[in-house]
Amino acid sequence: MTYLIVAYVFAVALLGGFLGWSLRRLRELEGPTSSGLRR
Amino acid sequence: MSRHERWAAGAVGLMVVAGAAIFLYAPTDYLQGPVQRIFYLHVSSAIAAYGCFTVVLIGGLVYLRRESLVADRFARAGAVVGVVFTTVTLVMGMLWAKPIWGTYWTWDARLTSTLVLWMIYAGYLLVRRLADPGRQAARIAAVVGIFGFVDVPVVHFSVTWWRTQHPGPVVVNDALPPEMLATFLLTMACTLVLAAVLIAIRYRIETLSDERMHLAEEVKVITAPEPRMAP
Repeated sequence: MTYLIVAYVFAVALLGGFLGWSLRRLRELEGPTSSGLRR
Repeated sequence: MSRHERWAAGAVGLMVVAGAAIFLYAPTDYLQGPVQRIFYLHVSSAIAAYGCFTVVLIGGLVYLRRESLVADRFARAGAVVGVVFTTVTLVMGMLWAKPIWGTYWTWDARLTSTLVLWMIYAGYLLVRRLADPGRQAARIAAVVGIFGFVDVPVVHFSVTWWRTQHPGPVVVNDALPPEMLATFLLTMACTLVLAAVLIAIRYRIETLSDERMHLAEEVKVITAPEPRMAP
């Protein structure tokens, strides 16, 4: 049972973390640039 | 909420449904016990990784033929998402193997070829990260992605080509009871949707990163001081 829980916690953390990190990066890129430039 | 955030929320919702089916609907395996439930996401992640690496293959072929930036961005997106799903496959497999085989790892054909697959596409990502962005890096990466794909059928058919410790195909051999098969098919569909959403998000990130890089280069050219002429 422990292995099952660890496996799914790992999968949720990795996939969820990757999705969250990607969305955050996308939001940063869709906002104004750090140098104040806008497309 | 942006379009991509709505897609991400939908994919997360589908994965929650798949999780409910795995833990609440699927019966407990008589021989392996609860740890058999690892199978549903382990195999689905492997299939999602195959799909991602197919995107890298097609993107690489189209890039080499037409130098299409769109194809190259899809390839980059597919590679990073594929590596994430291969990592899930490997780690979940190891956590299943420990209670069933008594060891986390064995140099069996399926496990070894999957590790090689992970290393090939991790190498692809390293090439993209370390090389100066441009046509040369894109071409080298496309070649790595195309030749690396040779390992995908090796991984998939390793359990039939060689004698391995890894279980053979159970879905195509009708070895699953209907509730387990339904849970597996649902999980696979939800995982493929999640992979597609992740590729769409990463594609958008690659597009915006390229645009930002070109904009920065244009600004650098405009603001660079004119070279002085020698008297």
